[in-house]
Amino acid sequence: MRWLAKARLRLRSLFRRERIGGELSEELEFHLEQAVQEKLAAGLSRVEARHAALRDFGGVEQVREECAEVRRLNWFYDLLEDVRYGLRMLGKSPGFTGVAVLTLALGIGANTAIFSVVYAVLLKPLPYPQPNQLVGVTMAEPEEGIPTNGTSYDDFREWQAQNHVFTEMAGFQSHDLTLTGRGEPLTVETAVITPGLFSLLGVKPIVGRTFFPEDGQEGARAVVVLSENLWRDRFGGDSSVLGTSISLDHKSYTVIGVMPASFDYPPLNSSEPVWIPLLQDPVFGPWMDRKGGHWLRVIARIKPSVSFAGAQAEMDTVGARLAAKSPAENTGWVIRLVPLQRQMVGSMKTALVALLGSVGLVLLIACANVANLLLCRATSRAKEMALRAALGAGRGRIVRQLLTESAVLGLAGGLAGVLLANWGVHGLRSGLPANLPQANTVRLDGSVLAFALGLSILASFLFGLAPTLFAAGADLEAVLKQDVVRSGESGPQRFAREFLAAAEVALAMVVLVGAGLLGRSFLSLTSVRPGFEVENRMKSGVELPLLEYSQPAEWRAFGEGLLRRLQAQPGMHDTAIAVPLPLVDGYINLAFDIVGNPPLRPGASQNADYAAVSPNYFGVMGIPLLRGRWFSEQDRDSSAPVTVISETLAQLYFPNQDPIGRQLSFEFPPRAVTRQEIVGIVGDVRDVGLGQPPGAMMYVPFAQAPFWEAEIVVESNLSAANVAAAIREQVHGMDKDLPVGDVRAMSEAVDRSVQQPRLRTVLVGLFAGIALVLAAAGIFGVMSYSVSRRTHEIGIRMALGASASRVQRLVLTESAKLLLIGLAVGIPAALGLSRLLSNLLFAVRPSDPLTFLGVGVLLIAVGLAASYLPTRRAMRVDPLVALRHE
Amino acid sequence: MTKPVDLVQGTLDMLILKTLALEPAHGWAIAQRIRQVSKDVLQVRQGALYPALHRLEQQGWIKAEWGESENNRRAKYYSLTKAGRNYLEQEHANWERLSAAIGIVMNTA
Repeated sequence: MRWLAKARLRLRSLFRRERIGGELSEELEFHLEQAVQEKLAAGLSRVEARHAALRDFGGVEQVREECAEVRRLNWFYDLLEDVRYGLRMLGKSPGFTGVAVLTLALGIGANTAIFSVVYAVLLKPLPYPQPNQLVGVTMAEPEEGIPTNGTSYDDFREWQAQNHVFTEMAGFQSHDLTLTGRGEPLTVETAVITPGLFSLLGVKPIVGRTFFPEDGQEGARAVVVLSENLWRDRFGGDSSVLGTSISLDHKSYTVIGVMPASFDYPPLNSSEPVWIPLLQDPVFGPWMDRKGGHWLRVIARIKPSVSFAGAQAEMDTVGARLAAKSPAENTGWVIRLVPLQRQMVGSMKTALVALLGSVGLVLLIACANVANLLLCRATSRAKEMALRAALGAGRGRIVRQLLTESAVLGLAGGLAGVLLANWGVHGLRSGLPANLPQANTVRLDGSVLAFALGLSILASFLFGLAPTLFAAGADLEAVLKQDVVRSGESGPQRFAREFLAAAEVALAMVVLVGAGLLGRSFLSLTSVRPGFEVENRMKSGVELPLLEYSQPAEWRAFGEGLLRRLQAQPGMHDTAIAVPLPLVDGYINLAFDIVGNPPLRPGASQNADYAAVSPNYFGVMGIPLLRGRWFSEQDRDSSAPVTVISETLAQLYFPNQDPIGRQLSFEFPPRAVTRQEIVGIVGDVRDVGLGQPPGAMMYVPFAQAPFWEAEIVVESNLSAANVAAAIREQVHGMDKDLPVGDVRAMSEAVDRSVQQPRLRTVLVGLFAGIALVLAAAGIFGVMSYSVSRRTHEIGIRMALGASASRVQRLVLTESAKLLLIGLAVGIPAALGLSRLLSNLLFAVRPSDPLTFLGVGVLLIAVGLAASYLPTRRAMRVDPLVALRHE
Repeated sequence: MTKPVDLVQGTLDMLILKTLALEPAHGWAIAQRIRQVSKDVLQVRQGALYPALHRLEQQGWIKAEWGESENNRRAKYYSLTKAGRNYLEQEHANWERLSAAIGIVMNTA
């Protein structure tokens, strides 16, 4: 084909300057040599001939420049003309252009919005120098199935001392402290760190300084680094705050610096954290001397000369050495390195990839739709094309112009898509979980826009291919001579349209199945019974500053005193306290031993979740008593230590025995190891997550195991505002400087715990909806077009005696064929791809037959509905008119 | 929209196309022929020939092929394409009309 040769020429011109230079040289050299021959024949010497020839020729270099210029200029002018022509053609049919641009905008916009999240969270390198040297250092207990955990401060020091592969290591934890003295008492999420964290990450403050190693040494003054948001909100963004003190839990800290708002380590829920040295922390500071425990989270920076595998190998050795030295604590535990970015992202990766995949399919459907639209237009423009060819436009020129038109359409769609995406990103940002790493950097930045541009071009190529191939392959002369309308449609064209429509159905099926599975999974998840009652329950929280309330006796007194006061309030008789509340707070997991059982082998452990609760807790929470008794007012510090266990613990660790009367021994700091007698068995609760099966749980009376922080749960018909006021009043009646956590309905808090699955389900559902609409539009388009092309044929059939219902069947058969082919391809595709979703699904198999059946029926129904109008039109064809229709 | 082509360039294009309408030729031969046919009146700066040839090739009126010259050397031969031939006929008709019109104007002045 000529246009292929021309395309080759054009490409050569663009990319192989050197070759062209060579060929051009050869051509000019030939000319010069001929001229020289002529002059030689005229009697000049070789040298004179050469000079004369060059003189006649003019400047050789100049000529070469001009030739190169010609190639460049031509290309540019042609492109400009194509673009202008394309815009004019698109402007002539605003309806078509509008639909095409809108379709593309939906596809490209959705993809761009999702990609902005994927990029910010998964792909963008962490904003620290040499981010690929950063690793999380965790401890894992493979045999007990604990994949990742922290370490003790003691072990952290050992790791620092014994390794040769890290330039630096740092540890951290976090919890809340109360900021007082600057307005209302405020709960501040506090990152508790070893001093080296900031230098490890290589970050600089915006004012002041970060920690020096001296700040973590005994006797150092207590210092704090603020976050920019907190600094601006509470301290007016004034740098004179440096050097002044603030009061956290009634302990004085000197402000030494402010970190920029973009600094987000460790990942916390709050956007206004503070950082204090571990040594100065009232909660974890005292734990620095404690042996064992897995509370400190550690990160490290690998030396540039060491590989990841090398670092892991070294830490394996260190881990083994430590386990040999302290077998009681460390047997069975191994040290595991994880690249920091992967550790931060965790399980989000599957979800994000699934989202990107489904939205990509939506774009494919959109491209198929636009390709179909263009094909229809190509047919009606066939005569125009043929005329142009006859008038001298090379076929290549026509093809190039069509591709340019596609590109213009694609870029217009991309532009509109970016606008849509902008709006979408705003919505996404507010829906993202707060502690998603780098979530605060989700926006339409350069890389995301480049992605959108790339998608537009790819899309143009995809949908532009169809009409271009048609234009290139069709015999344009025959088009002019022949009456295309009469013969119906050309074979390859019709096949292309039907193929596209069937493909859309298949793709839509995949996305719909994904949405259906996620939807069913989400419904299952939210209908799971948590094991406790949620109706009419509200929760709040109180925290005592350790500096003022340093003794367990004080915690007990406060907790019980507050409880009595609250219970005396009208409408708040059913109030209990708990540390922690199941599902909506974190969970505490402890190892325990059963007194009287043979000792466990070293390294093995029995674990259960732990909670300290007031006597009426089970009643207020609606947790059923199965055997024995609940706690009562008689269970005090002075009486026998007791515990209540969950059904699962009883079944797992006391099979075929009666647990009542046996003793469990465990340690929860700051208490020492105690033995608690089992007095009751209660129903299970899902305390970790709705999607997690309930595990073993042991409860102790708050009076026997008080804590400085407690959650309040109230069962009441009062409004949340009234409850909040009552709690605040009573708390402040006891200590006016204590902040009271927000009062929230338990049902709302439980909803929060499934925020991620909800977001996923909603998004994929949205995409599935778009896919369905697009596929329906595609089928509608193809069927309408097909009917209009076959009007003549239908007229003949009717004239020959076919009834309206036969015609109807004719049309419906065609659309049914499309749908069935689409389903035939879509079902296996969906089966294959849905397996990728399996870790996102709860209680639903990826091959769930109900979902597949439902989606199939939906698609067929929608497809037939989309064919309804074209079918009616076919049935209404007046044979006389149709026969005359040329 | 036509590209900005000045009159001399347009004339040169026509001459090249006309030359090639007879038979394919390489650059040197085209230059010779133009000199010959115009009886040396039209002195085409030989260098100007090549940018024109490349431009015509880009536009698709002529195509190029490497071949062997009369004295067995490698040379680039140009020939008219069908599109080029059509274009030539069209332009020829235009030119005739134009010169006729000018003739009338001149004669009736």
